[in-house]
Amino acid sequence: MRVVVDLNRCQGYAQCAFLAPDVFAMHGEEALLYDGEPDGTRRLDVLRAEAACPVKAITVEGAGAAWTAAGAGVSNGP
Amino acid sequence: MTSVALLGQILDYANRADPYPLYAELRRTPVVRDESGPYLVSTYWEIHSLLHDPRVSSDIRNLAPEAKTAPRTEDPDLPPSFIRLDPPDHDRLRRLIMRTYGPPHAPRRVYGLRGEISGIVSGLIDRFQGRDRIDLVDDFSYPFPVTVICRLLGVPQEDEQRFHGWADTVATAIEPAVGTPEEQQAHWQAIREAHHQLAEYLSGLIAQRRRAPREDMISALATDRGADESPMSLPEMLSNLTLLLIAGHETTVNLITNGMLTLLRHPDTLKQLRADPDLVIPLVEELLRFEPPVQLLPERTTLDDIEIAGTTIPQGASLWLVPASGNRDPRRFPEPDRFLPDRPDNQHFGFGSGIHNCIGSPLARLEAQAALAELVRRLDNPRLVEDPPPYRHNAVLRGPRHLPIAFDGLSR
Repeated sequence: MRVVVDLNRCQGYAQCAFLAPDVFAMHGEEALLYDGEPDGTRRLDVLRAEAACPVKAITVEGAGAAWTAAGAGVSNGP
Repeated sequence: MTSVALLGQILDYANRADPYPLYAELRRTPVVRDESGPYLVSTYWEIHSLLHDPRVSSDIRNLAPEAKTAPRTEDPDLPPSFIRLDPPDHDRLRRLIMRTYGPPHAPRRVYGLRGEISGIVSGLIDRFQGRDRIDLVDDFSYPFPVTVICRLLGVPQEDEQRFHGWADTVATAIEPAVGTPEEQQAHWQAIREAHHQLAEYLSGLIAQRRRAPREDMISALATDRGADESPMSLPEMLSNLTLLLIAGHETTVNLITNGMLTLLRHPDTLKQLRADPDLVIPLVEELLRFEPPVQLLPERTTLDDIEIAGTTIPQGASLWLVPASGNRDPRRFPEPDRFLPDRPDNQHFGFGSGIHNCIGSPLARLEAQAALAELVRRLDNPRLVEDPPPYRHNAVLRGPRHLPIAFDGLSR
């Protein structure tokens, strides 16, 4: 899978570095370093980081980039 | 000047189960003065703007005494915690806590708890064996987060029960006192007592870890010398540890309970989650939008006149932001009243925004994801026994007091 972070959007909330510390790391309080082609074993960590980003700066592409139910996750409830 | 009489209704217990129609009414005037005094802000972009505005203060000392209406949760004998401070005092304390809790200094503190979290979840669900009905709040949601906080801080397992007791009592301060004046007096007395016992216990633990540090967060706090700023004093540590305990406790209880309630009200989504447990990741984000544990942010103060959405909020006004309403603002979220587990571009206010954004959010996410995925996997044919369930009184930290769930069996 491939990871791209829009560093113009990133505001240093650091959710990704908490949830996927082998892929994302804070350098000081604001700068972000990351691995753009993480190992497949980090898939869930990366998906957690993507979902948790408060400014939606993280994009994940390639195999395993979504949940199988994507697009079907719709319910009107009772 | 237009004003509304909605805050009283929002706080009225009769509207606890479904406050969302009141928020929709409130959004007709994005910024409005309530007849009870405070200014209410209910639309997404206006809330966003004020959460990022340095002219909005969280420091309780800037608030006029007559404007103080929300219940006090802090120990009056300790300095204010960082949630109730502005920069630069807020920034110093938050930075010092972050040095012991998160990146860049402690990047694996929360991540390293994943195994513990899943063990605690399994252990609590194992205890449902042989039953066909549980109260999710008492049997699961309530004991779970405080156990995680104990592991995070480094509270020894043999002390956990005592710690749970203080946490429970201290947390009751978020509820308005009810009953006769004598009963209310006794209520506050019990809270004060628990605060003192908790402070005494934590002081002992800090002293002990200072002598013999371990790998936990209390040891890191007790031994940290700070970087550029002066390290935390003991009263500051006690005040901020108590905050982490209260804030990390009640809110997570409600997130998990609201989560199961929402899933049981949306059986198709529950089925999808059973088939694809990873769906829990975006689903928890949608839950934070749809049923946020923190509904209102009461009692911020304007340090200057602020012009917003055609209204001037005067300096010194009490400001109540309504993030649970911003989360349902149709100008920001298409079909805001539908629960869409993989909703795109979900920049909700579930954890606030700006400098006071929830410090516990990564931990809360891991806890809620683990709990909901495992509850849904293991409970066979779970169903609500009553809808709506009975709610807690609190309108700010809103959630069910009990959530009875019936089920046919328990998977391994």
